[in-house]
Amino acid sequence: MSHTRNSRREFLNKLCCLAASGGAAAMIPQLRMMGTALASSNTANALTGYKALVCVYLNGGNDSWNLLVPNDTTRFNVYSAARSGTYNAQSNGGGLGLSLPSGSTQINAQVVTDLNDLNLSTQKYFLHPNLTSVNTAFPTGTPSLKDLFTQGHLAFAVNVGTLVKPIDMTAYKANSLNHPPQLFSHADQTAQWHQANTSASTATGWGGLVSEKLSSAYGANLTSNPTLPLAISIAGANRFEVGSSTVPYQMSTNGLNALSGVCNPSCTSTTTSSARDSALNDLLGQTYASDFAGEFSKVFNSGRDLYGKIGPDVPPLSNSYVPGNTWPTGGLASSLASQLKTVATMINLSKTRGYASRQIFFVQLGGFDMHSGFQNAGNGHNALLGQVAAALNAFWTAMGPTYVNAQNEVTAFTVSDFARTLQSNGAGSDHGWGSMQMVLGGAVHGGKLYSQGDVISGFPNQAYGAATNPNPNSFSRGQVIPGLGVEQYAATLAQWLGLSVSDCLTIFPNLHNFSNKNLGFV
Amino acid sequence: MKAFGKAIALASALAVTPVVYADVHDHLFANSFDVPSDAPADTNAAARFLTQATFGPTASDIAYLMAVGYDEWIEEQLGKKATLSEPTVEAVVTARTAGAQNVGQTQRLNRWFWQATYAPDQLRQRMAYALSQIFVVSDQASTISGDVVPMAYYQDMLASDGFGIYRHLLGDVTYNPTMGKYLNAFRNVKANCTGTGAPGNPVVCTTSPDENYAREVMQLFSVGLIQLDMQGKTVLSAGQPIPTYDQTIISSTAKVFTGFTYSDAPIGTGANFTGANFYAGGATFAAQYAPMNCWGTEIYPYSNGNMKHDITGDDYTLGTAKTVLSWYVGGQYVTNTIDSGQSCSVPLPGHMADVEEELDIIAGHSNIAPFITRQLIQRFVTSNPSPEYIGRVTAVFTSSKGDLGDVLKAILMDTEARNPPALTDPTGPAYGKLREPILRLTAMWRAFNAQAQPVDQYGEIAMNGGSNSLSNYGQGPYESPTVFNFYTPDYAQPGVFADNNLVSPEFQIVNESTIYSVANSYYQMTAGAYVGMGGAVPTNRPLINLSSLTTSGITEAQIVAKVNAAMLYGSMSAFMQTTLTNMLHYGMSGASAQEKAWSAIYVTMISPEYATQR
Repeated sequence: MSHTRNSRREFLNKLCCLAASGGAAAMIPQLRMMGTALASSNTANALTGYKALVCVYLNGGNDSWNLLVPNDTTRFNVYSAARSGTYNAQSNGGGLGLSLPSGSTQINAQVVTDLNDLNLSTQKYFLHPNLTSVNTAFPTGTPSLKDLFTQGHLAFAVNVGTLVKPIDMTAYKANSLNHPPQLFSHADQTAQWHQANTSASTATGWGGLVSEKLSSAYGANLTSNPTLPLAISIAGANRFEVGSSTVPYQMSTNGLNALSGVCNPSCTSTTTSSARDSALNDLLGQTYASDFAGEFSKVFNSGRDLYGKIGPDVPPLSNSYVPGNTWPTGGLASSLASQLKTVATMINLSKTRGYASRQIFFVQLGGFDMHSGFQNAGNGHNALLGQVAAALNAFWTAMGPTYVNAQNEVTAFTVSDFARTLQSNGAGSDHGWGSMQMVLGGAVHGGKLYSQGDVISGFPNQAYGAATNPNPNSFSRGQVIPGLGVEQYAATLAQWLGLSVSDCLTIFPNLHNFSNKNLGFV
Repeated sequence: MKAFGKAIALASALAVTPVVYADVHDHLFANSFDVPSDAPADTNAAARFLTQATFGPTASDIAYLMAVGYDEWIEEQLGKKATLSEPTVEAVVTARTAGAQNVGQTQRLNRWFWQATYAPDQLRQRMAYALSQIFVVSDQASTISGDVVPMAYYQDMLASDGFGIYRHLLGDVTYNPTMGKYLNAFRNVKANCTGTGAPGNPVVCTTSPDENYAREVMQLFSVGLIQLDMQGKTVLSAGQPIPTYDQTIISSTAKVFTGFTYSDAPIGTGANFTGANFYAGGATFAAQYAPMNCWGTEIYPYSNGNMKHDITGDDYTLGTAKTVLSWYVGGQYVTNTIDSGQSCSVPLPGHMADVEEELDIIAGHSNIAPFITRQLIQRFVTSNPSPEYIGRVTAVFTSSKGDLGDVLKAILMDTEARNPPALTDPTGPAYGKLREPILRLTAMWRAFNAQAQPVDQYGEIAMNGGSNSLSNYGQGPYESPTVFNFYTPDYAQPGVFADNNLVSPEFQIVNESTIYSVANSYYQMTAGAYVGMGGAVPTNRPLINLSSLTTSGITEAQIVAKVNAAMLYGSMSAFMQTTLTNMLHYGMSGASAQEKAWSAIYVTMISPEYATQR
């Protein structure tokens, strides 16, 4: 850069790219020293084995109060009234409520027990029927999400949302600084879930910051054959994986296609391709005074780099690392399933070749902003949940011993902008706040609901917060104040990946406001 | 819409009539004027202006701009009527349907790319494209993905309103059924409540109006989330930004946008409104895009079940008003309320109509000028306009009462647009913007006189509209993944932009994957589609004309110079010129003239310098 602005990060950025580059193997010893130098003295414990986090972002604000519903009559009736009644196409088309499972088949398929609750009158819940179904294309015996919950591999974080500190309605009203800015706005609430910070807008996300900390303090990418960066997105740009000096590699579900008209990376015979390739490399090797040209060139180089490293080992050139299990079909097929298939391929490749010892993936499914069309057959909320379940089922199978064999090393977790109003608007629901999220993996302490907050605790009261129906910690349409903070949820996952609590207190600036720094679900 | 103003007779003579083989260089200009006082300094300056203001400079447009000067060119463009999509798309859809052919968004996209490349009202079409990234509707939403013809109309609406008054545009967008379906004002109905609010008879509501349009019309189409000053800077109070509204205002405003349905939904006849059906309508294409009708008290008595508009106030009774968007004046909120009991869109005697009053309140907010201005500057000129630049344009916005034509002229003629800082200047490196993948494609087509395919038997011209623009480019016209557009105005690419508190919106769709898919598409548009090529000549996309680069005796350096002038307004660095010249001279000495030509274009198209607009 010819100008004198922020250049330290430029330097670190180049270092990072070198560190991630297999072609820079000769520099690794020096980089290892650099990593040690950057490490704080109390973080000397080396990481062992392989672990990956998979962030499943449900874009648009998942109406998560229909994932898991209280099964006891008292709370079910409150839920049902809040959801404007049980949906019935003929008699209550605007209702959003699920019906209570009846008959042994339904009850067996849907009803679960929260092992964190010993109270027999409140420990039963039922899962959304589409979360518990299994794609008929899958082999017999493929576990449903209900089975995975019962087997202890699936957990729910209940009433988690953007919080600066634990609050109730009184504290909420007392001072606007007691709650995060721009509640109910998609862009802002998504950013706060993706950042490590719920009190200010930052350019970075916790996945990116965690991956940088793992690299610098713990040498997470210094495996036998370091090749890949820790953060990989299969779903485009996202704040979650942006670090202070690193950005994720971004891949599509098509794998890596070659670049037309040039060499990829070695030319076969045509000299004209070679001439274009050489010219392109010269242009991409230039330093540009324009920030736009410079950053564009950086991403292009990163793409060339990525293709050179793993292009031959992934589709369309190779299916060697694609897990051979069945992926969702028909109406249960989804972009999310395709993305998770790519994640499974990358985990397989990375583990087998020792390309990275810690990884953070980002995938997403859109369509959750269901102000209307909630009950549409093909693409309504029920249909989307069916797609999520089928994708997670297939991913779990892919991680199983027959294929990648990494169930205990991979944890998938959901994130969404917010939950939605419990109340219907006649065709769907509007923006809410506190939500429910799922965590799936062999390391997960599943079969339980996690809801132990400092101020608001437990499964939330789902009655509206109106004068006639007093519920102090909900707003008038059933938008509930969260009991658990996003930063607690994220820090729990980050600690599983290898960070210490003190690392988390540095990365998550509001975590110190919560007594519980680890929610314990993994 | 502006009058033709200073448009001269010559201009109308130059108007392009639809032709079977449209060619870009159809402006035959007789160079008989004196040089105007505001002529561009040279052809490179003219090409640079046209890169900002059009879908790409052509040789004839450059010559014409040189001859008439900036002011005349802009005034003439402001006076041109919109080239329309809807009539053509409707005809194609009808013909294809009759011929038992598939119909989809491909038909709309083919027409869009044709207009971008060939329409004479280039400035208006660029404005419509810019507005489509603010007033977003998208075929990615299932609610409108089948509405091919109505979406073509929406483009025409933005094009026709693009140089009009902002408040007029806001009204057209609000009543448009495609927007209605996209953001749920369509068939949004009043709260379902019982009780009067009297003691012992509490108001209990089982449903409330959909809040989606109420929120996004304020967050995205008008005022944004936080209070701005007239230079677009955040106003602080005790060190904190000042929110423009809160959730209670959203819930009240949601009531305003209720009662809308298709204009042809039968309202019934007689005292009992027999045959009324709120959920019917949309029988014809025209009815599917005509402004929505509102079933308020202007049609039905309050007690009638067909009255779908929510006329209650904050407490869901007629005893209170609706508290809607506040203004912020002199450091204080000024509360705005809308009376309960009013009609919806047609005023009744002695009262305003809710929707019109609400839109007046929104359009009266001081944030409109900086919020809209900044985004328009970002689409045309630079991602990081100085506060002074924004301030100069917002002054025009305010004094013209929101005349978007005047605003766009001010944006393009501002000194910061016309006189870029040198790259060595402190503001130089971050000046300008990343060129969008779609604009890089259309600019190449226009630079090399792309010859359109013949009109097919259904009246359609193939422009590769079905090539999945969204997945290849990360963007497609009216195809945003969400209402937040392909990129947000504040996206900052990690690295030099984020570190220096600068933004780079278009970088949000640039990544390792899309850089490759964009390049591979460009390869198909250059190496795979030129006039005179051998083998199977494509029939689904325009063929570029390489003749200017393949004339007998042309040197490699001359080829590069022509590419530089045509695609980079003469801004190609010496290094890049040398690199390309060497590529042609040494590496490709045995290649055909045509391969040399498309190679120079293709490598330029994927280069960092062509990706940058300064």
